[in-house]
Amino acid sequence: MSAPAVTEKAVPRSERSQARRFAGWREHHGWSAAASLRRLGARPLGTLMTVAVLGLALALPLAFYLLLANVQSMGNALGRNPAISVFLKADQAGAQARLLAGELGQRAEVAAVTVKTPQQGLDELAALQGFSGAVHALDDANPLPWVLVVQPRAGLDAAAVDALAASLRGEQAVDLVQDSSQWRQRLDALLGVGHRVVLVLAGLLALAALLVVGNTIRTDIASRSEEIGVLLLVGASRAFVRRPYLYAGVWYGLFGGALASLLALAIELALAGPAAELDRAYGGSLMLGALPWWLLLGAPLAAAALGWIGARLVSAWQLYQAD
Amino acid sequence: MLRFDPVSTRDEGGHEALSQLSFEVAAGEMAFVTGHSGAGKSTLLKLIALIERPSHGQIVVDGQALAKVGRGGIPKLRRRLGMVFQDHRLLMDRTVFANVELPLLIGGVAPAERGRRVRAALEKVGLLSYERQLPDSLSTGEQQRVGIARAIVARPAVLIADEPTGNLDPQLAVEIMGLFAEFQELGTTVLVASHDLPLIKRMHKRVVVLDHGRLVADIAAEEVL
Ligand SMILES: Nc1ncnc2c1ncn2[C@@H]1O[C@H](COP(=O)(O)OP(=O)(O)OP(=O)(O)O)[C@@H](O)[C@H]1O
Ligand SMILES: [Mg+2]
Repeated sequence: MSAPAVTEKAVPRSERSQARRFAGWREHHGWSAAASLRRLGARPLGTLMTVAVLGLALALPLAFYLLLANVQSMGNALGRNPAISVFLKADQAGAQARLLAGELGQRAEVAAVTVKTPQQGLDELAALQGFSGAVHALDDANPLPWVLVVQPRAGLDAAAVDALAASLRGEQAVDLVQDSSQWRQRLDALLGVGHRVVLVLAGLLALAALLVVGNTIRTDIASRSEEIGVLLLVGASRAFVRRPYLYAGVWYGLFGGALASLLALAIELALAGPAAELDRAYGGSLMLGALPWWLLLGAPLAAAALGWIGARLVSAWQLYQAD
Repeated sequence: MLRFDPVSTRDEGGHEALSQLSFEVAAGEMAFVTGHSGAGKSTLLKLIALIERPSHGQIVVDGQALAKVGRGGIPKLRRRLGMVFQDHRLLMDRTVFANVELPLLIGGVAPAERGRRVRAALEKVGLLSYERQLPDSLSTGEQQRVGIARAIVARPAVLIADEPTGNLDPQLAVEIMGLFAEFQELGTTVLVASHDLPLIKRMHKRVVVLDHGRLVADIAAEEVL
């Protein structure tokens, strides 16, 4: 009995009451978090519906992100080597091809030139899945031309590569010039649009999530207006009254966001089989994208923040009205 | 301590629920407010709890001038008051214990201390064995006693009650009023609104009589026969 009395006296009163107030505040946070969770559990159907709507809405931008990431890494894998393939005319023989290759190799904007024989082209074609049978039928009369693979100097910008391709097209012996940087540019532009679309979509669906949580909390508060009236009468502050509803918003967001992450993971897993096959067809060089861990963990956290904001806005409005 | 320094309330229609009302209840005193229906008893108590604001005049509660209490200060003021309502206003989805604990929870009192004080309050109103029950399973009189326990658990300086015996049979009503008298003896300022004149007479406390919002009689405890 005497020991606590001594320690109580040793601490200044204001400090002690402040520490107690903080402890009380923390305790009520714990109580609110638990009570709001119990209330969600008390009407499981309504809670599940809200969480499901949030999960589906938030999974959509994640799925779109996944799609974009895959297209991008595919583009990266295929466009990593910006070499220009120069197909010579059918009447050009090996000697002429090597002569031209030497000439082109002298140019400042060219790093290297390799000569591909018609037979090498045929072998490459045969290596691609499903082509071997058809290709072997051509063994006697190979229709493929000689090809020069021109590697532009590293650090050359897109315009300079374009100019190089154009000048190659002007060569007498050249039939066709295939410049991979061109489709790469188009893909990049398309991906840029795609990213913008994901951002807009994420913004709109975040707003929708905010409204869904806000509306759920609104009906929640309306159905408990009597309790809120009593709490205010016995001296509860607005923050105190609001707290369980803010936690309810956080729970809705957290569960909805977690569901969205799980759905996105499920989509990724469903795509994993076909993606691996595609990757194998390209000799394992595609490095298909997966959802990064920070996004899978970040989605529930961001959704929880959204739920909090939705609950905060609605409760502020409704408690103001309650007065 | 309670003081009304000519206080008037006027609604949008110009009707005065209270007009030029002046009186004081000393610290530790107990008084009844009585009068016909519509006399302004509830309005008077609402002014004390800052549920309504007067259009004129000054009200002081436990040394605090209410005009100086802003919106943000209302919760703090209410924590210094105990309030009992005719319809008890208990939270039906919480136990008797949790209902009585509410003011202490709001006040940030430590858990062990809360348990002690809630049990002391429940013991005072004779309901200690009901702490785990829900209010639904209690009789009207018992519910009202839970409401009283909630009002006094935080040891407020001022206790106000609006028709606290309105729903009770005469025997229970006497018991409840007796409880209020006990809290007065412990030093609490008590103001009870009631139109039950026979009951008021039995209590031998000061009586303030209102009629149409005006104070028409202020009878000292000794003069109550
Ligand atoms: N919400 C309100 N809006 C407008 N006027 C009101 C309101 N509440 C009460 N009044 C009016 O204020 C006056 C006083 O009412 P009050 O409720 O204080 O009376 P009371 O003495 O408590 O009556 P009762 O014994 O019936 O409870 C009455 O004229 C009543 O019509
Ligand atoms: Mg009344």
